[in-house]
Amino acid sequence: MKSFKKHIPHYISLFAIFFAGVLGFYLFSYDKSFQIGVAIALAGSYVSWGIIHHVIHKDIYLSVILEYVAVAILGLVMILSLILRG
Amino acid sequence: MCMDFIEKTLHLFLPRASNNHKAKILHPSGLLVLASFFILFQAVLNFIPKLGPSILGYASQISPDEIIRLTNEKRAQAGLPSLTLNGTLSVAAQSKGNDMIIKDYWAHIAPDGTQPWSFFTSAGYRYRYAGENLARDFSSASSAVDAWMNSPTHRENILNSKYKEIGIGVVEGDLAGVDTTIIVQFFGSTYVDNIAQPVAANNPINDNPTIKPTIKPTIAATISPTSSPIPIIAIASPVSTVEAIFTTSKIQQFIISPFATTRAISLSVVGLLVVVFLVDSFFVSKKGIARIAGRSFAHVSFLGMIMAIILILKAGKIL
Repeated sequence: MKSFKKHIPHYISLFAIFFAGVLGFYLFSYDKSFQIGVAIALAGSYVSWGIIHHVIHKDIYLSVILEYVAVAILGLVMILSLILRG
Repeated sequence: MCMDFIEKTLHLFLPRASNNHKAKILHPSGLLVLASFFILFQAVLNFIPKLGPSILGYASQISPDEIIRLTNEKRAQAGLPSLTLNGTLSVAAQSKGNDMIIKDYWAHIAPDGTQPWSFFTSAGYRYRYAGENLARDFSSASSAVDAWMNSPTHRENILNSKYKEIGIGVVEGDLAGVDTTIIVQFFGSTYVDNIAQPVAANNPINDNPTIKPTIKPTIAATISPTSSPIPIIAIASPVSTVEAIFTTSKIQQFIISPFATTRAISLSVVGLLVVVFLVDSFFVSKKGIARIAGRSFAHVSFLGMIMAIILILKAGKIL
């Protein structure tokens, strides 16, 4: 929680990314190609946010980057599976 | 044996010395294994149709009447007159649906090059303007019409003032190994319909009768003028109602809906990870463990967003 309060601007930008992503999925529910693009952009943005955040916080390590990449890949796989199944 | 299982479970889900004070499932390797299992599961779902009879599918009870009612409701909201049900158009739509099932394709143009308009003429509908909307895998008529209305090109078809009549075909069958329900929505107007009707200047419809009908595969809703004399095909038993040509829904024998199953598993995995991240954060905070790791709060937020998207996504495809 301390970390959250200390980096509120970071989290505001993160939530803005998430909000834009969810809004994109909602508004373009008929456009699967667009949704695939949004999903990939969200995953990429999340990894980028993680890297920038930890660089600023001066605790960037390979294992940390891998953690963000793994979480993003898992989320991306789930969303893409549903888009392609839908 | 039992102790071993408990030990492995704790190792997987709780931060402790054995997993470097971070639940093993939250390690990058654990997350990637989860993603791999998910991909494997999708591959199994794709492979199932090859095993035998239909065990994948989308249960649905689509009523053509409801499709027409909703379509006319949307037109009324836009200040347009209602479309009249035309039995011949419904026969044409049903033929198109059956053709897709028999030839196993999902497109406006059949693999053998058959244009949608040929179904109009084959059924005996002498069109001046014609349009086609397709939908599949929807659980209800309203969700299909909503999807069409959300797509600019399909919406244009539904709200086109040049159409006077409508025909709906609802066909159930096996498409690429998956039992599904296809909805074919045909719009049309005959030369007689349009004699007294002014043509909107900004309408993209080309009503030059000398132009050959064409359809762009990338454009969902396509309207085409007729190009040549159309033979009137006599229908031995004219169909006057949609009910008469609507294939009665067979008893649903679907066991697995690929979309619903994928969604349920996705939600379960995301929910589990959120709980494990929260528990992990609690233990780390309580024990004051210092470790090199990503922000659990950010991960939980990301997974929350994934959950929201999973809930937003709906089954059903339109073309």
